[in-house]
Amino acid sequence: MFKYSLLPLVSVFIFINHGLLAQKVNEFPKKTDPLYKKVEMFDRLMLGNHWNEGAIMQHVIFPPAGLERPIIGSQADCLDPTSEMLAAYSHKYAITGDPKDRKIANDIFEAVLKLEKVTGVEGLVARSFNRTNEPLWHEEVFWYHEWHQSSSMPGYRWLGDLSADKFTSIFYGVGTFWELCADDEYKKKAAGLLDRFIGRVVDNNFKLTDLDGKMTLWGNFCPNLPHQELNSLEMLAALKVTHHITGKERYNAAYHMLIDRYHYDDHQINSKIIFPKEWRNVGDDYHAARSLYMIMRLETDPNLLNKYRMNLNRHWYDWKDLEFTWESNIWFLMVYKVLTGEDIFTEEKKQGIKDMWGFERNTREFKIPQKDGSFKLVRSEEEQTAAAMIRNYWFGRYYGIIDEKW
Amino acid sequence: MKSYLTLLTFFVHILYLIGQETPTPPEGMVYVPAGEFIMGSTYGDPDERPQQIASTKAYFIDQYEVSNTEFAKFDPTFKFPPEKKNNAAVVTWSMANAYAKWAGKRLPTEKEWEKAARGIDGRVFPWGDTYDNTYVVWDQKETRGTSIAKPASPYGCYDMAGSVWEWTSDWYKPYPGNEVPMEQYGETYKVMRGGSNFNNHSFIRTSQRYYVLPEKIHVYPVGIRCVKDID
Repeated sequence: MFKYSLLPLVSVFIFINHGLLAQKVNEFPKKTDPLYKKVEMFDRLMLGNHWNEGAIMQHVIFPPAGLERPIIGSQADCLDPTSEMLAAYSHKYAITGDPKDRKIANDIFEAVLKLEKVTGVEGLVARSFNRTNEPLWHEEVFWYHEWHQSSSMPGYRWLGDLSADKFTSIFYGVGTFWELCADDEYKKKAAGLLDRFIGRVVDNNFKLTDLDGKMTLWGNFCPNLPHQELNSLEMLAALKVTHHITGKERYNAAYHMLIDRYHYDDHQINSKIIFPKEWRNVGDDYHAARSLYMIMRLETDPNLLNKYRMNLNRHWYDWKDLEFTWESNIWFLMVYKVLTGEDIFTEEKKQGIKDMWGFERNTREFKIPQKDGSFKLVRSEEEQTAAAMIRNYWFGRYYGIIDEKW
Repeated sequence: MKSYLTLLTFFVHILYLIGQETPTPPEGMVYVPAGEFIMGSTYGDPDERPQQIASTKAYFIDQYEVSNTEFAKFDPTFKFPPEKKNNAAVVTWSMANAYAKWAGKRLPTEKEWEKAARGIDGRVFPWGDTYDNTYVVWDQKETRGTSIAKPASPYGCYDMAGSVWEWTSDWYKPYPGNEVPMEQYGETYKVMRGGSNFNNHSFIRTSQRYYVLPEKIHVYPVGIRCVKDID
């Protein structure tokens, strides 16, 4: 009787103890805090709880459903927060000049290199990785089952089937790092990575191909295959950035080939689907915004710039009325201002920036698959990402859109 | 004028004869005649090569993918949200195979699936060579029969591009003459066709092949379209 009545207490203790060990950072800002303080505290949460050897986790599940290290969660989109934090620290370093900020950016960039190294194939970049020899439970239930045991980095598993949006994350994040933060050594490393990564896509007739040699589910930029208008824009932007950074003529030649022979410059204009209205997709807008931000600052041909501006105008048709429901769509307006110089920030929109928020820590039940085919329900805490908010802040500070006193 | 009438009479006669030879399909199915067609592609993944002239016997094939409601008639324990009663059922290969047998049908071979989707002329999509967003199911919450325009394949099938992937009876193996090695070839993976509403445009091409473990589909939405032999 005595033994059993103690069990719940022991369980609670173990649960709390697990929580304390795993939740490295537990301090959250208040909604009423000034923006700089909210950013500072979410930054600590992201670096403390979401840091996976430099890669940034989009979703973290704490024990008992998750692990102590590496903490796990959905990993299909990890390159998005990773590139956002890389861009955030690049903009931050450009403002502060603080070597500590540059060190963090360098470490995040090294994780992108590791995402290539872990696949064992030059230029093939993983969506994410985990340091483990055994498959983890979430591999079975989150996203497509494209996990592989690494042969080049024993003790690691990696997620394949890279998509066009993660392709965009790479040239946007690495391109921003090269531009604002990297020293000479890291500039060479960044150029080398883009050369291998984009070079492999070009060599495969503008397709992202996986370990099996087949095109990935979302890896189609090929002129001989039907693809979305947005993918034409992403490919042109990637080639422009890679030519700028590597100086290699082959990327400039590929850029002009896609324009002259396959009319990607015309095709990309319709990246934004405006009608039917329910087809408007802010997720796709984010990839377009990153691509337009990169390509429009590098292109000097007025005819091509006009076509990219037409694309931006179609987006603006929707963005001008957007409600700030998602941190990334606040960034669309910042990008629009940077690219056009138009003063579009009303007091209401400025307030929207000041009100930016990261995430709440939630508790929910996870359905964990067992070896016998059954499922076990486990209640755990989880966190989403604040990387977009942190990037928005330093981007806005860099371009003078956000006041440091906000 | 007389020659026009002779010609017209000739064509009416031919059409009458063709009509006589076409068996009436069971309800919800369409007829695919025997004969050769262009299979594979020269521009897709290596496993689509070589492009070849293949042939099939005549068969019937379902016009639409099997819905949740239809599948639940076979398996009353099959659960789905009430608002998705007309969506395509997403099932493992053995469930799909069992359903087909129960319905007095079978799963199509890759050849049968591809011919029903593209006809004989090697077209890229069931309706032709040009992609159009309104021709496919765009909303990821919906599947069968919900595209804005509703183009049919040459034999009258719908949603063979997009909606959900569709099981075939074939293992994932190289086409005869294909010399690009793939470790996935063999009797481990089954082939699914037609793409879904959650992949890029190229995956809904009629010649696109994709492999998946028959009993472990994870989050791949794979459904059923059956064929029936003609006695």
